[in-house]
Amino acid sequence: MMVYVVIVTSIAILLIGYIMAMSSKELIRLLISLELMFGAVFLALMPLFTVPNLTTSAFGIAVLTVFTSGGELMILIAAMVTFSKKFRSISTDDILVGGDRI
Amino acid sequence: MDTISLTLIAICCFSVIMAFATLFTKDTFYSALYMSITLITIAGMYALNNIQPVFVLITFIFVGAIGAVTVALAAMYRDPRPKLQIDFVWFIPAIITFAVIFNSIFGFNNIPSAFTNSEISVFVEEYVVFVLFFFSLAILLMLAVVKFVRREGV
Repeated sequence: MMVYVVIVTSIAILLIGYIMAMSSKELIRLLISLELMFGAVFLALMPLFTVPNLTTSAFGIAVLTVFTSGGELMILIAAMVTFSKKFRSISTDDILVGGDRI
Repeated sequence: MDTISLTLIAICCFSVIMAFATLFTKDTFYSALYMSITLITIAGMYALNNIQPVFVLITFIFVGAIGAVTVALAAMYRDPRPKLQIDFVWFIPAIITFAVIFNSIFGFNNIPSAFTNSEISVFVEEYVVFVLFFFSLAILLMLAVVKFVRREGV
C-alpha cells in the first residue's frame, strides 16, 4: 500500500513538472520544472529499497542519478546565465532553434 | 495503519500540494521556494523510511546546492509584473499519461506491500570505479561549460 502511494505521488509530481516545462515562458521556470522532475525520479527509486537484495544497487542508482542530474542542471544554469548576458532576456521566446547555438 | 504509514501519506499529500503550488504560483521566486520544499519533503520520505544516505544526498546536493542556486537565480531575474504561466491544454495529455502509467503499475501486482528496514552496508565493492567515473564526469562537464562560456565571449 505504502509503495503504491509513493509511486502515485512520484507520477503526480513528474506530470506537474511536465506541464510546467511545456507551458513555461522563462528559462528559470524551465529549470524549476526540471528539478521537480528529478525529484519525482528520486521518489520513483524508493520502491527499489523495499527489496533487501536490491538495496545496494538502489543506492548506487540513487548516487548516479544525483550526480548526473546535478551535472545536467549545472549545464542548464550555465547556459541560462550565458543566454541572459547575451540577449538580456530569459524568455523562451528568444531561443532560436537549430544547430548547437541557443 | 501505523504512525509511519500515516505520516508517509501526509508527506506525500503535502509534496503534491507544494508541487501544484510551484506550478500555479505567478512569482518565479516563490515557485523556486515551493520547489525546494517539494524536494525537502521527498528527502523527508527517505528519512522516514530510514534510508539516511539518500536523504543526505538529496538534501545536501539538490536542495542545498542546486536548489539554493535556483532560488538565487529566481530572485535575481524576478519579474516585477509576474503572470500565470500555465497552458491548460497540456493538462489533457498529462491526465491521459497519468491514467496509462497508473493502470500499468497497478496491472503488475508484484510490488512489495511495505518498506523493509534497509541498511546500505556494502556499497564499497566497486567504490574506486565509481569515484573515478564521477571525477571524469565532473571534469567533462566543467570542460563543456568553460568551452561554452568562452565561445560565447561572456
